[in-house]
Amino acid sequence: MKGAFAGIASAAIVLIPAVYIIGGTGLLLEGLHISKNSAMAAAPMLLVSFIVIGQLRVLISKEMLNKWLQNNKGIKGILVSALTGGLFPGGPYVYYPFIASFVEKEVPFSIFAAFIVGKQVYDFARIPMEMSFLGPGVTLVRNIITLPVPIIIGFLAKNINPEKLGGAFFTKKGGKL
Amino acid sequence: MIKSTVILSLAAVLLIIINAKTTGRHMEGIRIGLKQMIGLIPMLLSAFVLAGMLEAVIPEGFVNQWLAREAGLKGILLGTVAGMFSAVGPYAFFPIAASIRASGAGLGTVVSLVVGWCLLGLSRLPYEAGLLGMKFSLMRMAVSMPICIIAGMAAHAVELLIM
Repeated sequence: MKGAFAGIASAAIVLIPAVYIIGGTGLLLEGLHISKNSAMAAAPMLLVSFIVIGQLRVLISKEMLNKWLQNNKGIKGILVSALTGGLFPGGPYVYYPFIASFVEKEVPFSIFAAFIVGKQVYDFARIPMEMSFLGPGVTLVRNIITLPVPIIIGFLAKNINPEKLGGAFFTKKGGKL
Repeated sequence: MIKSTVILSLAAVLLIIINAKTTGRHMEGIRIGLKQMIGLIPMLLSAFVLAGMLEAVIPEGFVNQWLAREAGLKGILLGTVAGMFSAVGPYAFFPIAASIRASGAGLGTVVSLVVGWCLLGLSRLPYEAGLLGMKFSLMRMAVSMPICIIAGMAAHAVELLIM
């Protein structure tokens, strides 16, 4: 998180003098004015968004999701793992170690693919942020269009023969999947 | 913005009620959310400054030629690539995406930007490749690339037909 903050802050620090060089004080003040107005307009939405995020984090436990992933196979497994991915809390440093822990449990490859893409595309805890900044219309269109993506990826993965693509997918742990 | 706040407020109230009735940990949820928000304030402020500067500095001609609805496939491809290289978390990404939208970018460009960031974001690559192997990451990204473009084209069609 500190690295991401440093990256964003550095980009802002570099952009401020660049804006001044391009458009002088007028453009710089315009940029700051836009920033201030956006922050003021987004503040109440952000407050509510984080309350939603906090409630989701309490409501959905890793143990519950773990059970879902292990108890469902086949087509139902793909649907459940895509949904589980969307519900799974935390960033990549949390969900990749979680899903990697299933490599040795001989969980089908399609479950991994649907979970990871489900997390990336659905991520229900991220929807409040998306809606706050892009508005309900854009958020709705984006989510409807990408709704089938994790399931399609899961089905593609189910029908892929790893041997035709040079052997096991998980080179790190040498799994058979 | 008012519509979003109302929808999110209703969702928050609903979730608080569900949490109160099922887990009884609704106050903990509020505390966790607020604590997370307070911790992210420096990041959010930096993102707002960056987004404001971007919105002010992006030339109108560039938007019209490369990002607007009229840019079509060019905007969608640019959005996908920009999403891929936006190696930041959601708290920084969405203010930037909103500033690009506000500058006049088309729906296809914005959707491909968001989907490109979701599916191709390079910031997640070290975790994925490190834990599941580079082969898995490259295969997933190869399959995801056309999906971003298709999603952008679908959104572009929605904008042309409905919006």
